[in-house]
Amino acid sequence: MSALAFARRLLSPRGWIAFGVLAFIGTVLIPTLNSAVSPESALGVSDRVITLLGKFVCYATAAIALDLIWGFAGMLSLGHGVFFALGGYAMGMYLMLGIRGQGVYRSNLPDFMVFLDWKELPWFWHGFDHFAFAMFAVMWVPGLLAYAFGYFAFRSRIRGVYFSIITQALTYALMLLFFRNDTGLGGNNGLTDFKQLYGYPLALASTKRALYVLSVVVLLLSFLLCRVIVTSKAGRVLRAVRDAESRVMFLGYDPRSYKLFAWTFSAVLCGIAGALYVPQVGIINPSELQPANSIEMAIWAAVGGRGTLFGAALGAFVVNGAKSWFTVALPELWLYVLGALFITVTLFMPDGIVGAVQRFVEKRARTAASARAPEGATP
Amino acid sequence: MTLSAPTNTLEDDEPSGDRMTVEPPTVPLKPSSPPPRSRRSRVVSEERLAALTQGRKAVLCVDDVSVSFDGFKALNSLTLILDAGELRCVIGPNGAGKTTLMDVITGKTRPDTGNVYLVGHGHDLIGQSESDIASLGICRKFQRPTVFQGHTVFENLELALAGKRTVWQALFQGLTKLDRETIDEVLQTIGLKDARERLAGELSHGQKQWLEIGMLLAQKPRVLLVDEPIAGMTHAETERTAELLVSLAGERTVVVVEHDMAFVRHIAKKVTVLHEGSVLAEGTLDEVQANARVVEVYLGAEHAKG
Repeated sequence: MSALAFARRLLSPRGWIAFGVLAFIGTVLIPTLNSAVSPESALGVSDRVITLLGKFVCYATAAIALDLIWGFAGMLSLGHGVFFALGGYAMGMYLMLGIRGQGVYRSNLPDFMVFLDWKELPWFWHGFDHFAFAMFAVMWVPGLLAYAFGYFAFRSRIRGVYFSIITQALTYALMLLFFRNDTGLGGNNGLTDFKQLYGYPLALASTKRALYVLSVVVLLLSFLLCRVIVTSKAGRVLRAVRDAESRVMFLGYDPRSYKLFAWTFSAVLCGIAGALYVPQVGIINPSELQPANSIEMAIWAAVGGRGTLFGAALGAFVVNGAKSWFTVALPELWLYVLGALFITVTLFMPDGIVGAVQRFVEKRARTAASARAPEGATP
Repeated sequence: MTLSAPTNTLEDDEPSGDRMTVEPPTVPLKPSSPPPRSRRSRVVSEERLAALTQGRKAVLCVDDVSVSFDGFKALNSLTLILDAGELRCVIGPNGAGKTTLMDVITGKTRPDTGNVYLVGHGHDLIGQSESDIASLGICRKFQRPTVFQGHTVFENLELALAGKRTVWQALFQGLTKLDRETIDEVLQTIGLKDARERLAGELSHGQKQWLEIGMLLAQKPRVLLVDEPIAGMTHAETERTAELLVSLAGERTVVVVEHDMAFVRHIAKKVTVLHEGSVLAEGTLDEVQANARVVEVYLGAEHAKG
């Protein structure tokens, strides 16, 4: 397949233009407005906003990962926070060891270990002072857990609401585990007080900006990678599994391996998003594993429009943007707004924002087409 | 839907294998019957196969198969030999075991005793997974049309295309020129060339049935099992389906389960009548209709009506 044909497979020409515009805004325009324009001016983007946007971008990546398995393979995970948090913890461990000697106790051990009177690093912390090792762990730890979990779940043919429930149980179980001090990951407080990432101080505006840009690049790449998957034959098999799994089996496919692939890939993406999230917010603790967090991810995808990838990312921005605004302006109203949003979307926009827009455009195109070509055009 | 048991949402008209009870067969086994089946699929005994086929050009042998659901014997020592390239109609009153027979052949239901041989394959099909049996070239068309509604006609056929079933192949391999030609051929055969880019969910009932037959063709099957293809079709669609099925036989073996006697008369050369889980009669439709027992159990009712 030629490069051009491949590009056309991924996105329509109009889609590429939109993609290019968004990529430009995300990676060039906003960082420039942050570095070159004073935050007081109308066009200025403050450091606080950059960090906030960076956080949203990580959420959007996670939402795309969730959409891949929910929208395309029909598996609603209510435990994707697990993979996000595991990626975050892997990054957190690297950042934690980067503090060495600059902590409150001036010890070579992370502060919480000194506090617990531990004398040496637990075995699984070894290696996390190497950047490459930690980045590898960001991917394989969530990936391995997802693979093992998926292997047994799909082998037992657990589907639908049962699958959602056990993923929810998974995140709850892991939350309880991570809350314990003995687990060796900072217990209740988690990992925080990070100083530097790969030698760059996290407090610097330029580091924040770089992290933001990196997050946007990861989001864009994740989107394209997921497009590669869903526009391949494997994507069509996944959609077929979603719609009629038994039929797929009778065609000679093994639906389990397709599900397992999408599920594991999605978990790895989520892990990477979590890893980029942690240095920007400066903390990772077990509250990320709360069942409610994972459910919120599903809400992002539903609001934006599942099965579209772009919609899931859009939903993450819309819902989190609204959340940031409401929790500042009208803090006591936010939960009602979230509830109302979910009800509105389920009742009036079952395919989310993107679905509603698509339907509107298609309807207009169809009326225009039928006006142009009367009967006989369609078989 | 249960939490862990394999579930099947496609066909629940007759008891499915999930609820199959494994009780000892009540009918005494003949001395020539094979020993109890082990968990692994067994190698086919050449002698047994030769004894069954007796020099015919057989492709599929259902050998002494019994299935019971909670004590009800759906199949009772059924033996059926299908010849290469024939078009066989299987008829019988409700509950005669027609759908269960299909279930056993395609691996959905495991029989209590008996074997199913695919000539040239060398292994018993019993105990193999549904997807394995499908990839051996035994394809089934269900009663209700089950095409992928959200995929286009072309994509439906693409998914059905023989070969290329692993995730990596599906991710990185595109369609070859030959693949496209095969799909075009199938589109031509089933008369859906103009509907190529339409969503399967938008097709009429008859078109969906043809698309599904097309999907089976794209799998390059050796044996095509077709379950009540004309249920709910208009007269014109029925005619078209009859032509289609007749044209498909020859290159491959086609087995049609059908209630509609007019349709069977139209297409069948050879008819097998099932009754209470075993073969009651076999032959041309005229021969079968002349059989006193058949008239009694099945055609009698039809004649009385007509």
